[in-house]
Amino acid sequence: MDPLVVGGLVALATILVLFSGVSIGVGLLIVAAGFLLVFDGARSLEALPEIFYGELNSFALLSIPMFIIMGAAISSTRAGPDLYEALERWLTRVPGGLVVSNLGACALFAAMSGSSPATCAAIGKMGIPEMRKRGYPDEVAAGSIAAGGTLGILIPPSVTMIVYGIATETSIGRLFLAGVLPGILLVCLFIAWAIYDTWRRGAGHVALGGVTYTWAQKIEILPRVLPFLAIIVGVLYALYGGIATPSETAAVGALMCIVVAILVYRMYQPAALWAVLRDSTRESVMILFIIGAAGVFSFMLSSLFVTQSVAGWIADLDVNRWVLMAIINLFLLVAGFFLPPVAVILMSAPILLPIITSVGFDPYWFAVILTINMEIGLITPPVGLNLYVINGIAPDISLRKILAGSLPFVLCMVLAIVILSIFPGITTWLPDTLMGPAQ
Amino acid sequence: MGSERVTSGDAMQPLPLRLIGVVSTACGVLASFMILASVLITCQMIWVRFVLNKSTIWQTEAVIYLMIGATLIGLPYVQKLRGHVSVDLLENMLPPRMRRGLAVFTLIVTALMMLVMLFYGWEMFYLAWSRGWKSETVWAVPLWIPYISVPLGLFLFLLQVLADLWATIARLDPQSLEITQDRRC
Repeated sequence: MDPLVVGGLVALATILVLFSGVSIGVGLLIVAAGFLLVFDGARSLEALPEIFYGELNSFALLSIPMFIIMGAAISSTRAGPDLYEALERWLTRVPGGLVVSNLGACALFAAMSGSSPATCAAIGKMGIPEMRKRGYPDEVAAGSIAAGGTLGILIPPSVTMIVYGIATETSIGRLFLAGVLPGILLVCLFIAWAIYDTWRRGAGHVALGGVTYTWAQKIEILPRVLPFLAIIVGVLYALYGGIATPSETAAVGALMCIVVAILVYRMYQPAALWAVLRDSTRESVMILFIIGAAGVFSFMLSSLFVTQSVAGWIADLDVNRWVLMAIINLFLLVAGFFLPPVAVILMSAPILLPIITSVGFDPYWFAVILTINMEIGLITPPVGLNLYVINGIAPDISLRKILAGSLPFVLCMVLAIVILSIFPGITTWLPDTLMGPAQ
Repeated sequence: MGSERVTSGDAMQPLPLRLIGVVSTACGVLASFMILASVLITCQMIWVRFVLNKSTIWQTEAVIYLMIGATLIGLPYVQKLRGHVSVDLLENMLPPRMRRGLAVFTLIVTALMMLVMLFYGWEMFYLAWSRGWKSETVWAVPLWIPYISVPLGLFLFLLQVLADLWATIARLDPQSLEITQDRRC
C-alpha cells in the first residue's frame, strides 16, 4: 500500500484511539503495534519493548524530572504569593500597575515552576481577588491570569522545550534562549490588551494604581523571592557557560530548590517533602512513558516509510512555504485543543521537522511558534486546563466570563505568531548573539 | 507514606484490590526514591568531576538506569492515581452508563497492549540474562539488571489496570465515573 495512504490511516486511527479516552502513551503504543502487525507481520512486535527501552536510554531525559522537581519544590512553597506581593509593591506606580504586576508575576513564576496550571493557581489565588477588589472587570482579572499562566511553557526553563529538543535533537540551551524575547513580547501584548480592555470597560481610573508602599515594605519582601530567582538564573548561567549539560545543571538546581524550600520556607516536614517528590514522580513518569511510547510510534512511522513519504509529498506539492506554515499552524492549533503540549510535540515533531527545515525554516524559530500554538490550547475549550483552574479559584466568575476574558489573549498569541513570522530575528537574535550562529 | 488515596471507598474494596493498591503505592515510593537517588548521584558526579577534578565511571550510566527503572516501576502508581493523561472529551459527553462501558473498554484495550509488551519485554530480559549480556562501557553492568524493570514494571502496571477493571465492573470505584485528569506540562 502507498505509504501516504498508510499515513492517512495512521492519522485516522490515532484520532479514534486517543478519543476513546485510553491514556495517550498506551494509545500511541496501540496504534504503533496495530500498524506494525498489519503491515510488517507479528514478528515486528518483538522489537517494541526494546525500542521503548532505547528511547528512554538517554542521559538528556534526566533534565525532565529534574526541572519538574525544581518547579514542584517552588510551587509547594509560598513563593508564588510572595513574588506577586513583591511585584505589586515595586510596580504600583507603573500605569496599569496591578495588572502589570500580575502578568509579570505570572511570567516569572511560570518560568520558575514551568507549570501552567500551577502558575494560574499560585498567582491567581491572590491576584484575581485583589484585581476585582480594586475594580478591574472580571474578564480582565480572569483572562490575564489564565493567559499569563501559559507563559510557563515558553519562558525558560521549560519542560515543553526540553521535550522538543529531545524529539528533534536540537540544542536545549539554544531553545531556552529562543523563547526569552518572544516570551517578553507576549507579556507586553498581554499587558497592552489588559490595560486597553480595562479602559474600554470604563474602569480606566483603577488601572492607574493608587496604593503606595514605603521603601521598607519594598525591600522587606526581597529576601523571600530572590533565592529561587537566583537558582534559576544560576542554572541557566551554568547551562550557557557550557559548564555542564542541561541534565547536570538541572539536577543541581533541583537539589538547591529543595534546600531553599527547607531553609527559607521552612518546609522540613517529611509529609510536605514527600508531596513534592510524589507529584514530581507522577508527572515525570507520565511524560517519560509518553516519550517512550512516542518513540515506538515514530519507529512505526519510519519503518512503514510514512515519515519519508509525507515529507517527499509535501516537497513535491511545491506550495509557498508560508502557506505551508499556515497549514502547519492550523494543524498544531487543532491538535493543541485536545492534546497536552508534550504529546503534540512528540507525535508531530518526527514528521514536521524534516518538512520545516527542507523549506528553509529555522528549527528554533519553529519551536517557539509551536509552543505558542500549544499555549493557545491551554486556554481554549474543550480541555484548556487553565480555564478550569481559574474557575476553581474564583467560582463566582462564570466559565463563560473566563472564556470571554481569555479569548482576546488568544488573539494576542496569534498576533505574536504573525509578528514572529515577519521578524524571525526576535527569536533567533538572542541565541545567535550569545551562542554563535546555529550550524 | 503516600497512602493519601486510602479513602472509605478503598477500604470497602475486596482484599486482592487493596493488595494491588498497596503494591502500586509501594512502586510509587520506590520510583520516587529512584528519582531522588538520580538527583543525588548527578550532584555527586558534578562534585567529583568539577571540584575533585577526577573522571567518573558509573554515575551517568547508573542515573540512566534509575530513570528507566523509575518510569517503568512508576507506571502502576501513576495508573492508581489516574495520572496518565488522556483525551476525556468523549467520556465527558457520554451519559454515566455509557461512560462506564467506555472505561471498561479502554481498560481492556490497555491490558491487552500491556500483555503484548510484557510478553516481548520478558523475552528481552530473558535473553540478556541467559546470555550474560553486559553494557559496552567501562562499568560493564549485566544488562539484565536494567532490563528487568521492563517486564516487572509492565507486569505491575497490568495488575493495576486489571484491578481498576474489576473495580469499574463491580462499581466499587466511584472515581472511575469522574476520572480527574490534568494536563500539566
